Amino acid sequence: MAKNKAFLFLLLFSALWAHGQAPERVREAQGEGKVVFYANITGVEPLMEAFQNKYRVRAEYVRVSTDKFIPAVLTEHRARKLQADVLQAPLPVMEILKKEGVLGRYVSPQSFGYPRWTRDPEGFYQIFAIEYMAILYNTRLVKPEEAPTTYKDLADPKWRGRIVMPDPTSHPTTIAWLVGLRENGVFKSDEEWTAWLQGLAANNPMFVASLGPTPDVLARGERAVGISMPKYLVTKAPAPLMWVNTPEGLFGSPRAIAIAQNPPRPNAARLFVDYWLSREGQKALAEQVGEYTLLQGTYPPIPGINKATVRPVRDLSDEELTRWSQVFARIFKR
Amino acid sequence: MRAAVPLLLLVVGLLTLGPAASLLLGSFSEGLGTWGPFTWRKYAEVYLDPELPRVALNTLAFVLGASSLATGLGGVLAFLAVRTDLPGKGLVLFLPWLPMMIPHVLFAAAWIMLLNPTNGLLNLYLQELLGLEQGPLNIYSLGGMILLEALLDLPIAFAMLFPVFLALDPALEEAGRVAGGRPHQVLLRVLLPLLRPALLAAFFLATIRTLGAFAIPQVVGIPAGIPVLTTYIYRIISTGWNPDYGKASALGVVGLALAMVLAYLYRWATQKGERFATVTGKGYRPRVLPLGPWRWPLALLVFGLLFAMVLLPLATVAYISFLPYVVRPGPEAWEVLTLANWKWAVQDPVVARALGNTAFVAVVGASLGVGLSLLVAYVTHRRRTPATALLDLLTFLAFAWPGLIVGVGFMLFFVQTPLYATLWALVLAFVGTYLPYGVRPMNTALLQLHRDLEDAARTAGATFLATLRRVLLPLLAPATVSAWALLASQFARELGVAAVLARPGSEVLAVQLLAYAHDGLWGRVAVLGLLLVLLSTLLLAGLLHLAVRRRSPQAPPPQV
Repeated sequence: MAKNKAFLFLLLFSALWAHGQAPERVREAQGEGKVVFYANITGVEPLMEAFQNKYRVRAEYVRVSTDKFIPAVLTEHRARKLQADVLQAPLPVMEILKKEGVLGRYVSPQSFGYPRWTRDPEGFYQIFAIEYMAILYNTRLVKPEEAPTTYKDLADPKWRGRIVMPDPTSHPTTIAWLVGLRENGVFKSDEEWTAWLQGLAANNPMFVASLGPTPDVLARGERAVGISMPKYLVTKAPAPLMWVNTPEGLFGSPRAIAIAQNPPRPNAARLFVDYWLSREGQKALAEQVGEYTLLQGTYPPIPGINKATVRPVRDLSDEELTRWSQVFARIFKR
Repeated sequence: MRAAVPLLLLVVGLLTLGPAASLLLGSFSEGLGTWGPFTWRKYAEVYLDPELPRVALNTLAFVLGASSLATGLGGVLAFLAVRTDLPGKGLVLFLPWLPMMIPHVLFAAAWIMLLNPTNGLLNLYLQELLGLEQGPLNIYSLGGMILLEALLDLPIAFAMLFPVFLALDPALEEAGRVAGGRPHQVLLRVLLPLLRPALLAAFFLATIRTLGAFAIPQVVGIPAGIPVLTTYIYRIISTGWNPDYGKASALGVVGLALAMVLAYLYRWATQKGERFATVTGKGYRPRVLPLGPWRWPLALLVFGLLFAMVLLPLATVAYISFLPYVVRPGPEAWEVLTLANWKWAVQDPVVARALGNTAFVAVVGASLGVGLSLLVAYVTHRRRTPATALLDLLTFLAFAWPGLIVGVGFMLFFVQTPLYATLWALVLAFVGTYLPYGVRPMNTALLQLHRDLEDAARTAGATFLATLRRVLLPLLAPATVSAWALLASQFARELGVAAVLARPGSEVLAVQLLAYAHDGLWGRVAVLGLLLVLLSTLLLAGLLHLAVRRRSPQAPPPQV
């Protein structure tokens, strides 16, 4: 209860602060000169540029790949040389950074536009999007009526040798997604789920290191169907790709944004988070990068995506990820 | 010179010991960077994994296959380019460098487009030509991995071997022939023994590089279902959000152990240095071997090979640079052809800055690296003491780690210094990591120079520096060119270190390129890759121009 009260107070305070002193903050941010943003997200350069043009504060994007994100941030943090003002990463990464004391508390006034569950109860981060995964297919190789309609269809022998997916023995997002399908009721029992995985394995899918390469394999016709992301319909346009709105819904890992604990440029940091979470920022993210934002009423320009239910999967701890990776290695015989 | 050894130990130690020690400590302690309590756990976990034997076998085949093929191919090409009357020799001197300049992920992507079993262009062509049911070749195989990695390592072997051929005294071969040796006997009993240090050194570098290579194992090996050491390490660091680089380092130690064995072998094989000295006070001139009736068939073979292996993938990359997404040539491609990627590259300020930074690290890094390598190679060659053996060991302390983890080692080290997040951190880390690319060519070249040359200069009253400038450097010019070119093109496309250390202001092209490759924006990747190739070609051309211009006024009159 006390926590809740504190949270409400924080929210109210930041809302007042933001509304009352916005021009002041912009001036101070301009005095700070720039904002440094650490993330691993595709094509956000237009967003950085728009921020720069709007506030005359330089926005520097440092892209750190996921496998180096925590080592790099923690190394800098421990040496008191963290250059980031703002950080953005998958939720499990944010949770680790929060525990390590890297993040600072900030509840943006823009948080109001987001569902309640997206706010960190302690006010450290804000979830703003879901890395939504779906079945994609090459429209030149597969007619819409022949395409899979449910996840279960991927185990159909007719797709033997025609599927591409990220390596489920090492790619954390895919591991969490496969486990998420079971935990979110797509499969009614562990047996059904395991049988499906075995069917998928029997179709001998081609593995690639992560989600990034999947749309290319599809676009160049090397495989016809894939476990991939609808956002590639935006970033790869006009590639012959289409997504499948499975009746069970789409699933993915939540992404969150936060400011650093004692950021080098505190005003610029807050200003940037506010802009990122604003409708203008999220619209740009949806339209240019195809992200599935959680700001209500904003959708990426993907046909039919506004009719999809997109749900977050549970965070898996590193121990769980390792354990499932071994299970999948056995099932997929890799 | 005696004072130089401790100084060099200090400099090289600073460059290589920091990251290696960070990684080693991490492998023995709980947590990385915080130096937790001592533990054997990480070693036990990785070395007792029942999957490791299969990975080790794959790795062995991959590493031995690729490094032998690269060394053999590099040797043959260097020999043909330097010592024979092959038509178009100039091109044979240049083309083998190209794979060194192309970013490896892009090289792999181009080959997948050409040779994937489903719809690879070459496969479809061969299928039609031979009337087969399916494409005859499959890039997703151990053979495919070995071939691609060998091509990528080929420039290393070529760079190591061509200066050696330039400095081989033909008198020795003639002696062999006069003694009644048939050509293949001369090759086996005169040439090969003389080449032993260079071949060993080339094999050494190629082996360590292949062991630590990640691009081909990732892009080709994962779809092929053939895990090797680096993809196995990748699985350790990518499964989970808080990767244990200490555990990865426990496996990476294999590279260090292998490098030590190979360095010991090299030292042992070159113990009696004078035996390899072919350049004495007598004067020599590499003789051109007439190929006779073999001239044109060989030229056809060599150029066919270079076309298929070097130019075809490069042409594929150029083609991809005009596409919004990767699509096979045909009506579909024709419809979507675009200049957008090139326009983006011209307009994006980060690309311009990254290009400038890349040129800077390549030129400054390679120059520093060559200077340091020359001193190290000279000292370790002339003085065989425990101290110089240690110096030799220090040179590959950072090089021996897989690129995937060495960057983290440098990060842990540099974050303690004011250089962190600057371009100089990149330059120093590059020099520290790739020192063997400079030291090894210099070392083999020095082995060929007879001590008499220096002694003569010293007797005539020249100081050490004057001897270096007037006698050694001119004779070492080809090796210097080799080392500089190897280092510069490596630095231009280096990823392992740069991906961790580059920050706003110190961006380099390769890191930008990797980010776009992750996003699958291959059009942009191709443009950046071509910019890199262009930059490296310009640097190499400038270097050759400089070398030729400096040498020509003093060039000795042609011997008749």
